Amino acid sequence: MNIIKYILKRIIQTLPLLFIVSIISFFIIRLSPIDPLAELRLNPSISQETLQKETQRLGLDKPIPVQYAKWASSFVRGDLGVTSSGERVADKLKERIPNTLLLTSIVIFMTWLVGVPLGILGAVFHKSQFDRLLTVLSSIGMAIPSFFFAILLLIFAVKTSLFPVGGLTSFDFDEMSLGGKILDLAKHLVLPVTVLFTISLSGLQRQMRANMLDVMDSEYIKFARAKGLSEWQVIFKHALRNALNPLITLLGFEFAGLLSGAALTEYVFQYPGLGRLILEAVMKSDINLVMASLMMGSIMLVLGNLLADILLIITDPRIRGVGK
Amino acid sequence: MKRVIYLIILIGIITACLPACLKKDSYISQSEIPVVKEVQLDKYPLNKIFPNPKTVTINGVDYLQSQLPVGDYGGRLITSTIGEGPKTFNPFTAKDATSSQMANMMYDGLVSMNPVTGDVTPKLAKSIEVKGNKYIIHLRRGIKWSDGKPITADDVIFTWKDIVFAGLGNTSVRDSIIIDGQLPTIEKIDDYTVVFTVPKPFAPFLRILSNPIAPKHYFTSIPNWEKSFDRILATTINPKDIVYSGAYHLKKYVPAQRVVFDRNPNYYEINLDNKKLPYLNQIVYLIVGDLNNEILKFEGKEIDTITLRGATVARYKAKEANSDYYIYNLGADTGTMFLAINLNNRKDNKGKYYVNPIKQKWFADKNFREAIDYAIDRKSLVTNIAYGLAEPLFTSESLNGIYLNKSITGHNRDLSYAKELLKRSGFYYGKNGFLYDKNGNKVEFDLYTNAGNTERESIGVMIKQDLADLGISVNFKPVEFNTLVNKLTNTYDWDMSIMGLTGSPLEPHNGKNVWASNGPLHLFNQRPVGYSVDDRLSWEKELDYIFEQAALKLSFDERKVYYDKYQQIIYDERPIIYLYSPTRVVAIRRKFKNTYPSTLSGVLYNVEEIYIEKAKQ
Repeated sequence: MNIIKYILKRIIQTLPLLFIVSIISFFIIRLSPIDPLAELRLNPSISQETLQKETQRLGLDKPIPVQYAKWASSFVRGDLGVTSSGERVADKLKERIPNTLLLTSIVIFMTWLVGVPLGILGAVFHKSQFDRLLTVLSSIGMAIPSFFFAILLLIFAVKTSLFPVGGLTSFDFDEMSLGGKILDLAKHLVLPVTVLFTISLSGLQRQMRANMLDVMDSEYIKFARAKGLSEWQVIFKHALRNALNPLITLLGFEFAGLLSGAALTEYVFQYPGLGRLILEAVMKSDINLVMASLMMGSIMLVLGNLLADILLIITDPRIRGVGK
Repeated sequence: MKRVIYLIILIGIITACLPACLKKDSYISQSEIPVVKEVQLDKYPLNKIFPNPKTVTINGVDYLQSQLPVGDYGGRLITSTIGEGPKTFNPFTAKDATSSQMANMMYDGLVSMNPVTGDVTPKLAKSIEVKGNKYIIHLRRGIKWSDGKPITADDVIFTWKDIVFAGLGNTSVRDSIIIDGQLPTIEKIDDYTVVFTVPKPFAPFLRILSNPIAPKHYFTSIPNWEKSFDRILATTINPKDIVYSGAYHLKKYVPAQRVVFDRNPNYYEINLDNKKLPYLNQIVYLIVGDLNNEILKFEGKEIDTITLRGATVARYKAKEANSDYYIYNLGADTGTMFLAINLNNRKDNKGKYYVNPIKQKWFADKNFREAIDYAIDRKSLVTNIAYGLAEPLFTSESLNGIYLNKSITGHNRDLSYAKELLKRSGFYYGKNGFLYDKNGNKVEFDLYTNAGNTERESIGVMIKQDLADLGISVNFKPVEFNTLVNKLTNTYDWDMSIMGLTGSPLEPHNGKNVWASNGPLHLFNQRPVGYSVDDRLSWEKELDYIFEQAALKLSFDERKVYYDKYQQIIYDERPIIYLYSPTRVVAIRRKFKNTYPSTLSGVLYNVEEIYIEKAKQ
């Protein structure tokens, strides 16, 4: 019961936060000098009347607070509005979300599957050759800029013809058998996944290693060892459980990154995800689309944190007091 | 101690790096302009004749018959579109080039044009009679929409009266046919004849008839179709529901990835064997985000045809002999690159001049403008910036324009003549080598262009150099695109600016917004909206008259006289100094036959006639 109360309380706390985020973003976008109609203005075949009509249609003739109020009231009612070219924002997002989710969830799953054990190993064999090797590799991974790595891989794909040049599916995807489709998807996913995996793996491995080292140094581990427990029991029963707490918080952030974490890589690989859509929208100051994606990002972040906190309550008895 | 040493080394490295960051914010230094070798390309035979399709009647059906060699059926062509892909498949609401291109695959217009000569040819119309103000359209008998309903006069009337004249969707077609505030009228004579009546003779009208024709029964079957017009044929539509007339129809749209079109088996065009076109089973447009990705995709053999730019041309040309594609240089494209001079001598509503009055005097001086023109080295612009893939330009009509004034041959760079012109207007050189006007003001002004466009930025640097040879100091300022547009169309506070516009090579009248003195894009002497004082320069008056009169004349030869004159005026007065026109270079895989690429129409203009030899499919 307490947990439900706690969740409700958190959700109510969230509302003013979202409100402030939306106001700040809306005003920043509208006050920026980007003119959504700049291209049209320089088109010799566009008449003055058409320009005026467009200005009215996009609501640019009204003061910014009025524009905001209009946007906010329809957003609250669940209507995300239309893009500057007249398509429904909700439709646009719906087209792209599954693709981005596919990419990011594969990456997160793989990162955690590999990163956490590597972090533990690094800590357990602290200062060994193995640990040093991991440190060097993860430093490299963290140091490579993702877009640069992506471009290198893209050139690799062109030169070797082993992998397709960006995209998610081949042009004849619809005519393939189920097995062929899976293979085709896998082929397209290898490169972007490699880029994102390399970069987030390094971070996670370092984080896990540091947590684990912290814990291994503590009094209760010394005590456990002194008690004569086997090293195996010390690590997995006592050290690991305590080292996981910060990672659960991290998982909350990963959740937020599910929809927005891969934008740069998506752009380089021409991946049909949200990143490309939103980048284009920002360039054109397509306000409804940008706002929808920003709000989505904020909600995901808040939600991720909430989930992490709930998980912490479940895993860590010391925090349970908060809910009461 | 060791730590202190490390710290000192670190600080040393950082201070060594700092000057790079503090470097003065000059845009491009001279040394960064690449000196490149011109690429030698064979010109595509522009005199290659594209035979217009004819009309043949078989069993009461008026087919369109292609006059090109008979080809093999089957295969698919994959091409690309840059950007975010189509926003709609409705040809009447499409506002961007990609959407119109896709929509026009499915909807034919009454007329079309010859891709090489630009002549108007019949498409959905069987023939067109022009009698003064009347355009009598005879439609084909027996041709059908994809759902089997005949295409009749009702569809034509519906399209023009209920969609275009009513101002639904994109109103640019409607805007362009309002003559003296009046729209043309349309009436039905019988099921296969309609008559358009224009208020007075209006030459551009014939080409405007290429606007697609909509299936009336399909559009009106949508409840409340007028209100929800923007949603008709939206990208979320189920392709099976679409009723179309074109050679290809939408099979599948995968957002941000591709648009697939399938062959229309009942298209009304046939080949010389009287078999139905088109030959290719499928046309696929891959949606790619940028030029680089498009090039990689062509190299990875994922696409069949591409427009090549700049440095890549030389690389592809070197590989052509051992490859499976041909490279065609199609000649000068429709785009133009120019230097505009701000002749504005008005004050804003606070009483402040838009342009500094000292500079106004220079810019208003015809000799000064001509001197600038003669100081610019177009040849080196073409070689160094466009990699030789451009042609020097001196006219306001693009080099592939059918109304191009060929008697304007231009000139070479001539510094001594330029200096003489300046001298005539009382300019003199100071001891420091800089140019001063007769009142002793140093000649110095700002040159703008949009930042991020490397081509224009390089042009700016070279023009700055060229004018420095005349003793003129140019402050070259690339600014954000939006800022530049705002300066040009709203605040008018600029001196000179490097720009490019895409004109229409077929219809000079479309440039009216630029050349008419009250036009919204009359950049070089922009008057605010609602400006009523008549302060037109004598040659601006002349231009106004020319554009008004030329549209009233219907024959090409009569119009040509007017448009030749207008180009001569621009060339003499130089409010806009034209620099060069890029040439268009395309690569097409060799297996495709019957291709007639041209700068007027691109590569896929006659897509229904293109085929792949059986052996290579």
